[in-house]
Amino acid sequence: MSYIPGQEIKPVQIEVDKYRPYYYAGASRDFNTIHIDDEFGKSVGLGGIILQGLCTMAFVYRAVMGDKDPEKIKSFRVRFRGIVKPLDKLTIKGKVSKIENNLVTFDLFAENQKNEQVVTNAFAVIEE
Amino acid sequence: MPVDTKFIGKEYDPVIYVIGEEKIKEYAFAVGDLNPLYIDREFAKKSKYKTIIAPPMFVVVFARDTIFSLFEDKEIKINMSMLVHGEQEFTFHKIVKANDIIKSTSKIKNIFQKNNNDFIEFETKSYNQNNELVVEGNWIFIIRGQ
Repeated sequence: MSYIPGQEIKPVQIEVDKYRPYYYAGASRDFNTIHIDDEFGKSVGLGGIILQGLCTMAFVYRAVMGDKDPEKIKSFRVRFRGIVKPLDKLTIKGKVSKIENNLVTFDLFAENQKNEQVVTNAFAVIEE
Repeated sequence: MPVDTKFIGKEYDPVIYVIGEEKIKEYAFAVGDLNPLYIDREFAKKSKYKTIIAPPMFVVVFARDTIFSLFEDKEIKINMSMLVHGEQEFTFHKIVKANDIIKSTSKIKNIFQKNNNDFIEFETKSYNQNNELVVEGNWIFIIRGQ
């Protein structure tokens, strides 16, 4: 399919499962205490456990790539702006910002149910 | 105490990781990315890749121990309870397949301070068994001011 500049991707909504930080910890081996120990999360001012940023990044990847051939993604960047917690409802949005030869750049962001941006300044460069 | 800038340029020992099919599946389910190339053997066999492949973001699994070399560095002594992940960028060069043997190198690219927070920029490069560069990572960690 071909894209035009300014074209928006279909927003993707993700409800963060209550136990997602534990599943992701097991899969990624990121067992940092702030992801698995609620009391510790509270003691360092996070209000409890938070989701691993790289898990949110993987959600953003999925939102822009879907089941496309993974070979098509050339580069991908995110800035982690806010924390994501279990049971948060995220919406990932994006649009085409640039098309150069066969490379399409998507600008992306993710926000939570309070419309706070949790991922900003994100982009993915994908081969058409 | 701020992180000493004398550590800029410090390199860590390369990390070897053998890509396992079941580990790929486990990761794919954990992030909800169920592209059949990652989880369906028969589908993957018939694809151009001929085998299960790793999602591009699986780099976080095989490069993980390089990051922990930094986190556990006894000279730098990062305060992990104040650490947050600031930014992440990957540049992808080649698909990683099941049974690939990946070697990841890493170094501290930059250390700087901004608004009373310490920033550490960390660079990783991962190569397959044919010595082909598969992915580069640029990881920015923030140690919140105390």
